[in-house]
Amino acid sequence: MSQVQARFFTENKKYLIDDVPFSIPAASEVTDLSAVINKLLEAKNGHESVQLCVVCVCLQEDVVEIEYVEKFTAPQPEECIMHDDWISSVEADSEWILTGSYDKTARIWSMEGKAVMTVAGHTDVVKDVAWVKRDGLSSLLLSASLDQTIMLWEWNSERNKVKARHCCRGHAGSVDTVAVDPTRTKFCSGSWDKMLKIWSAESNEMMPRKKQKTEQMGLTRTPLMTFSGHNEAVSSVLWMDAEELCSASWDHTIRLWDAETGGQKNAITGSKVFNCISYSPLCRRLASGTTDRHVRLWDPRSKDGSLVLLSLTSHNGWVTAVRWSPSHEHQLVSGSLDNVVKLWDTRSCKAPLYDLAAHEDKVMCVDWTENGLILSGGADNKLYTYRYSACVSDAGA
Amino acid sequence: SQTKKSLFSDPRSVWFISSPSCVMFLWHTVKWADSLLIFITFSVRSQDIRNTVGNIPMEWYKDYPHIGYDLEGKKIFKPIRNKDELDEFLDKMENPDYWRTVQDKMTGADIRLSDEQVDLVHRLQQGKFGDVNFNEYEPAIDFFSNEVMIHPVTNRPQDKRSFIPSLIEKEKVGKLVHAIKMGWIKPHRPKETTPQYYDLWAKEDPNSILGRHKMHIPAPKMKLPGHEESYNPPPEYLMSEEERLAWEQQDPEYRKLSFLPQKFACLRAVPAYSRFIHERFERCLDLYLCPRQRKMRVNVNPEDLIPKLPKPKDLQPFPTTQSLVYRGHSSLVRSISISPSGQWLVSGSDDCTVRFWEVSTARCLKTVEVGGAVKGVAWNPNPSICLVAVSYDDTVVLLNPGLGDRLVCTATDQLISSYEEPEEVKDQPVQWAVAEGEGHEQGHRLILKHPKAVRQVTWHGKGDYLACVMPDNGNSLQVVIHQVSKRRTQNPFRKNKGLVQCVSFHPIRPYFFVATQRYVRVYNLIKQELTKKLMANCKWISSMAIHPGGDNVICGSYDCRLAWFDLDLSTKPYKVLRHHKKALRSVAYHRHYPLFASGSDDGNVIVCHGMVYNDLLQNPLIVPVKVLKGHTITHDLGVLDVTFHPTQPWVFSSGADGTVCLFT
Repeated sequence: MSQVQARFFTENKKYLIDDVPFSIPAASEVTDLSAVINKLLEAKNGHESVQLCVVCVCLQEDVVEIEYVEKFTAPQPEECIMHDDWISSVEADSEWILTGSYDKTARIWSMEGKAVMTVAGHTDVVKDVAWVKRDGLSSLLLSASLDQTIMLWEWNSERNKVKARHCCRGHAGSVDTVAVDPTRTKFCSGSWDKMLKIWSAESNEMMPRKKQKTEQMGLTRTPLMTFSGHNEAVSSVLWMDAEELCSASWDHTIRLWDAETGGQKNAITGSKVFNCISYSPLCRRLASGTTDRHVRLWDPRSKDGSLVLLSLTSHNGWVTAVRWSPSHEHQLVSGSLDNVVKLWDTRSCKAPLYDLAAHEDKVMCVDWTENGLILSGGADNKLYTYRYSACVSDAGA
Repeated sequence: SQTKKSLFSDPRSVWFISSPSCVMFLWHTVKWADSLLIFITFSVRSQDIRNTVGNIPMEWYKDYPHIGYDLEGKKIFKPIRNKDELDEFLDKMENPDYWRTVQDKMTGADIRLSDEQVDLVHRLQQGKFGDVNFNEYEPAIDFFSNEVMIHPVTNRPQDKRSFIPSLIEKEKVGKLVHAIKMGWIKPHRPKETTPQYYDLWAKEDPNSILGRHKMHIPAPKMKLPGHEESYNPPPEYLMSEEERLAWEQQDPEYRKLSFLPQKFACLRAVPAYSRFIHERFERCLDLYLCPRQRKMRVNVNPEDLIPKLPKPKDLQPFPTTQSLVYRGHSSLVRSISISPSGQWLVSGSDDCTVRFWEVSTARCLKTVEVGGAVKGVAWNPNPSICLVAVSYDDTVVLLNPGLGDRLVCTATDQLISSYEEPEEVKDQPVQWAVAEGEGHEQGHRLILKHPKAVRQVTWHGKGDYLACVMPDNGNSLQVVIHQVSKRRTQNPFRKNKGLVQCVSFHPIRPYFFVATQRYVRVYNLIKQELTKKLMANCKWISSMAIHPGGDNVICGSYDCRLAWFDLDLSTKPYKVLRHHKKALRSVAYHRHYPLFASGSDDGNVIVCHGMVYNDLLQNPLIVPVKVLKGHTITHDLGVLDVTFHPTQPWVFSSGADGTVCLFT
């Protein structure tokens, strides 16, 4: 059996071994390499055995350089929360899960999967939901709907009462996406009428001049600013930072806007309809899900626009939802119409790390919380949550 | 004779001389030369005046009594000579002057030579000078000898003029100098700029007639004679009796040899070749007809003559994969239509329902029940009106689905409710009624009761007019056009020829297309006349679609054909595509992209690239790009309707299996 010279290296200081070439059998598998490294680590500092995986192999002067990182454990399914209808959107923070559904309501769930609150008030399908902020026990949340309105709700978790604060009217089409800015004072909405509108997210306690039907619908609010420029429906919108907006549209473009002046800063042109985008401040990349089953990564700063950095191809249907890991700069999760949620590492773009094939119908939305919870909802009325602990430990390390 | 020889040595000149005019020329030349010779002879003997007959052989006159004519024209008679041999001998013996007597040939008289004459004859015979006094040996005196003497022959001194310059010369030189000064004479004449020699072939066009020298073809050579042509051939070349008979019976054209090999004892015994002239003539004909110029034959690969179709890969975007399936109908979906914004899709099915779908998620948002199997649905193309026309049985219902902009929906409701009855009610073939009660709750707004079953509904581009087809053989009322805002119904055709299959409005101009089984008739609605009649060359048209530019029409037929008409080009199909294996049910154009699609009973949707150019000289480019499979065949029916998304390159198809598919 032939032997090759191999040198192992890693960027993780925790698992560092001596920079010495080893002679290993040429037919070694990943598990064999992992065993070798574990032996070395044990001999060095008596570390407990960890699963390692080889990420990158490069050949230099007949010494094979092998990079190894810690192998992540598979996401563990936690809860399956049943809804009455299709789940159009999900957003979770550290305590509560907020979902929007096709039964015209938004719902609040505890992390254990217990139904806490049903937010009803829209006259049509809820397309997107978002948490605005939380002051102690009261929270502000948003729901955007097909009935062309966005509702700002105040929810008191102790008394478990929800109250419509404002009804944001102004769109001339279904509001498909809503995003709250990092300062939590404004939010932006994108609609089928090709417009982006910025609204104030403050909950004014000011009494209405007339005794409107405040009990039910809240005060009517008008937009602070309107961005027009897209030629087709806006499918997804997000804040890059407090001053910069990013929107994806059916007109095959991703546009970057200055939230202060309302001007368009940059445009990225793709070849297919964009369904969703996500931005990671860690790696400063945009991930987009399109109707051609690819997840594409873009550099929003590049001036020449249409440069795709990477394309992750494994889905068999439209990619309807994509979300970067809030804590890991290389990982993202994507959901598709082929009923599968996939967990990706951008360093291995050929295949996803894990396929989460729990859904029986189209996946409509995914989310990833900061405490390592992956959520996905779909047309089978189920919201699945997965615990993905490895990324916490990795972030800590 | 030299000329004749050279002429005849060239076979070509044989051909030349054989023409009568050339022969005549030669003959004249010979005649002229003879007469010239005679003239010269006459002039030499002109001083002989005793006899005027001239220098002719005198024996010509030997049978005549005279020997010629004197100057007066009188005959000169021959002297009587009746002496025989004996007399002659006696005369010789007795006549002392006999020896000096000669006969003059010209006059025939006897002449007695004188002594001087005899003496002259003698002297000449002896080789002496005729003159007696001539001394041939006289001493010679040299006046100018080679000896130089002391005294000159003449002692004249030289003239003065030989020492002074000549005045005449001086005058001449002075004139020349003056002329040079005045510039009349150029002492150094400028050289002739025109070159003495020039390149004869410099300006020659290589393709001109001279160019053929480059492609020179030498004259075909004659076959060299073989053994069989020998006068003494080897015996195997000689023909046997049977061979000779066979040779004689053969057509001369097919003979292997043009002659019979013969054996002769010696070369002297070989007779003249009888076919010589004939063969020369044939050789001339061969040379005359042989190719003189090399023609380059163009070598063309037949593959190259086929116009190059672009690859489908280069014609993107077009739908390639099935993305979404809209499930919910329990029976075959006859018709689909998409909202002008592209957000909603409506489908009508045989399960008596109309369903409204969200395009991006395949979510059925609304189901409206109607009183019969839905034959056709059509979404109003005007974005400011939210109405869907649904046809079932003999009824057309205008539905307000309440989808899209709420303002548009309420405005549409207001528009319908704000209608006021005109004062004089016309008798209309269709009854208009406003939906009330439960129907209104579901979205029904107007109900139009037709006298017959309605098969197809289609809107005009502005969204006010609605055309309905009620196919009925041999009846007048097959097509009606409704005006929704005025709730008026028109019957545009007093009489319809044939069974109307489908109708369509022109997207821009006031034209109306009516497709019967075989023909598509184009009517001008303003002038109210037939503009064009397109012949589809198929048995039974099933569907029709008008290009958004308005100059091209596609027709699907039940005999598996799709005919593309270019209205500017001809009334016959510009192209007929036979890609489907079974009857076509539906065809559709995309509004922006150069795409058209056809759905068929074989369950496939075929998407073709159909580029129409603004340039009138360029014909449309039609390339089939994709076969989309997604429907299962149910009751021998596959795809029943296809339609394109208004903005994206996506195609929807509805099938007999109760589903609607979206291909992207």
